[in-house]
Amino acid sequence: MDPTTLMYVAQGIHGLAYGMVLFLIAAGLNVIFGMMGILNLAHGAFFMLSAYLCYQVLSITGSFWMALLLAPVFTAFFGILLERFFLRKVHVMGHMGELILTVGIASIIMAMVKIFWGTESLHIKIPPILAGMVSIGGLDYPIYRLFMIGLAVVVMVIMTLLLYKTRLGKIVRAAVSDRDMVNALGINIPLVFMIVFGVGTWMAGVAGVAIAPILTVFPGLADQVGMDAFIVVVTGGFGSLLGAFIVSIIFGLLSSYGIQFLSQLAPVLIVGFMAIVLAIRPHGLFGVKE
Amino acid sequence: MKGIGKNIFIFLSVFSFFSLTIYSPSAAMAAAKADKAVKAAKGGKADAGPKVHAAFDVNKMGDMSAFDPANPVIPKGDTIKIALVASFSGPAALVGQIYWASVLWAAHDINKRGGILVDGKKKLIEVIQADHMSKPDQTKKICERMVLQEKVHVLWGTDGSHLMKVINEVANKYKVIAINTAALSDDLMDATNFSRYAFMSSFQTDQIGRGFAYYYAQIKKKEKKFYILCQDYMFGRAMADGFKKGLKEFYPEAEIVGEDYHKLFLTDFAPYLEKIKASGAEVIYTGDWIPDAANLLKQSRQMGIKLPFAHIFLDEPNFLHEVGVEGTNGLVQLSQYGTENPAFKNREQIKYYKTWNDLWKSKWKTAPYNSRLFEHPTGNIGSYISQTYWLLSVIERAKSTDPEKIIKVWEGDTYVYSTGKIMRMRPCDHKAIQDLHIFEFVPPEQQKVSFNIEPYYWFQGCSNAGPTFTIPAARVLPLMDQKLDRCAGKDNWGAY
Repeated sequence: MDPTTLMYVAQGIHGLAYGMVLFLIAAGLNVIFGMMGILNLAHGAFFMLSAYLCYQVLSITGSFWMALLLAPVFTAFFGILLERFFLRKVHVMGHMGELILTVGIASIIMAMVKIFWGTESLHIKIPPILAGMVSIGGLDYPIYRLFMIGLAVVVMVIMTLLLYKTRLGKIVRAAVSDRDMVNALGINIPLVFMIVFGVGTWMAGVAGVAIAPILTVFPGLADQVGMDAFIVVVTGGFGSLLGAFIVSIIFGLLSSYGIQFLSQLAPVLIVGFMAIVLAIRPHGLFGVKE
Repeated sequence: MKGIGKNIFIFLSVFSFFSLTIYSPSAAMAAAKADKAVKAAKGGKADAGPKVHAAFDVNKMGDMSAFDPANPVIPKGDTIKIALVASFSGPAALVGQIYWASVLWAAHDINKRGGILVDGKKKLIEVIQADHMSKPDQTKKICERMVLQEKVHVLWGTDGSHLMKVINEVANKYKVIAINTAALSDDLMDATNFSRYAFMSSFQTDQIGRGFAYYYAQIKKKEKKFYILCQDYMFGRAMADGFKKGLKEFYPEAEIVGEDYHKLFLTDFAPYLEKIKASGAEVIYTGDWIPDAANLLKQSRQMGIKLPFAHIFLDEPNFLHEVGVEGTNGLVQLSQYGTENPAFKNREQIKYYKTWNDLWKSKWKTAPYNSRLFEHPTGNIGSYISQTYWLLSVIERAKSTDPEKIIKVWEGDTYVYSTGKIMRMRPCDHKAIQDLHIFEFVPPEQQKVSFNIEPYYWFQGCSNAGPTFTIPAARVLPLMDQKLDRCAGKDNWGAY
């Protein structure tokens, strides 16, 4: 391939890699916000918390893989505590209560992060096995970015299987559709929703660990991706994993090719795409009208 | 006898000149160049050199042994009050902590000397934290509270030109002094925004851009293809404009092979870096600050891009260590703190450095002050300290906290930092005139040329300042807005 074609191909893979990270964050939010109907503005803070936990686990064990395993689990644990002791109580008050509570929780997480890890930026290295470049058809591409794409695909497959091929998935979908009916069948709905919330924050945790080696971990990390994730959920359609997946990829590609060809308009392209989709389909690309 | 004396004088002069040339030919050449530049800038008239009004004297420093920025002793009562307006909360809280350590250092020193004689009485310096939370409305609120309730004499700021603008407006409204040590936009002191109560002791975007262009054109004379990548807001654009203007002025044969502006706090720089890779650029010029600057460098090295960056903020040691010696080798930093090599030219400068560094090693146990970021009292920290010393020196010489008396002393003032650097305050628009310095980052074993005392390197885990070059003040005089009445008809030195 000639250098120009290689550049365009590389831009495509960059778009895919960013889209996949966005999917990991947005999918977790989609489960919580889209399926459970809980407005969780602390989702970005959980993403950040996981990056810090990754740093901590890495400092103790020296293993990125342990960090990838444990940090999202710890993050999910905090998510479960939030749902069990706070969100469950304000959920009945509607979105306003959730909004205020989760904004407060996000502030608390940021304050705690500063107390435990300080205000300085922390740094996480790419594990040696994933460092460096790989040559594919004349294109040299960073291995770690390919790993991010692979990781997101694996998570998506697991989530799809969980939701559509297991009994738990059926219960969750049924509970989302008709909570009272499922409750009447003797299923512990609060427990199910607590687990689902945990899974959502676990996904944010996976994203936090995945992105940490290419970013500086600092107390403003949550702000960097939180809003993009919300846009993905709204544009993809509430509760639709497929919608989040496709829109994340579209956003990634719009971002990278936008920067390549229409640099100044790149940020507008994403918002413009959202506006067009919502104008035509107010429930998002794959959202279902209630 | 008179004739013999004259001959001896001539002989010694000639001998001294040749000795200097043999000992340090580059320094002598640079001095001659700078002198020529000064002459050219002054329309052919040689600058007799500034008359120094005051200088920092390390031998007069107070006892600093008790100083700890995490546990400061702050005097109360009838004091000279300085409101340190900065972000002390939120994502940028670290910036406030950097300022805090810097300003407290100068204040602690002066207090240990017994304070400053103002209005017939010796007064200590009280530094008060004023958290602007990185928000303009909060900046206004906190500044007004500082002026009206705390009765501060000086507003000291800050990170962000948009916030400094608010500070200057409050200073102008309530007639208190504002010192700008860290916000770099030239617009702050243009005809629209100028306030006679505000002083910009920092360097500025136009100077920075032109300084880099001068370095690549007149000193480095190697790279010709530049890619500009800056943040997409007033500061980033101003940084780019200054560089483009400088290239036109000093380096017309240079080529800008690409120019992009990215949103603040960008997550993924890969698409920009891919464009840069394909552009054939030899240098990436950026005004980005951390975290963007850190992520940009980190991701570029992860993508195998080893191009040098021309920058002003890629000096945070923690992330430099992460990128490592190889990844940081070849970075080029323009600094407002710098000095010609070596960094320590005399016993006083070593003493000053060690006073800070020994405390950092032995006394400061609380984060973030115990981290690498605070290891050396140089770079940005050194600059904030020096600018604060200048402010306190002006108050001391004004013998008053009356803003009118302070203004009278500061306009046209000349002050010498601990590094030997001479600062001048241009009277008409209150912008500092100064030589700037460029550091080329080299591996630890080559840092001795700059860090000439044990252990002979700044940092062992990353490249850092090595060869250093002076950009003469005459070549980077601050941008002057001729629409500002006070400057109309004046040359760039501020003289008719």
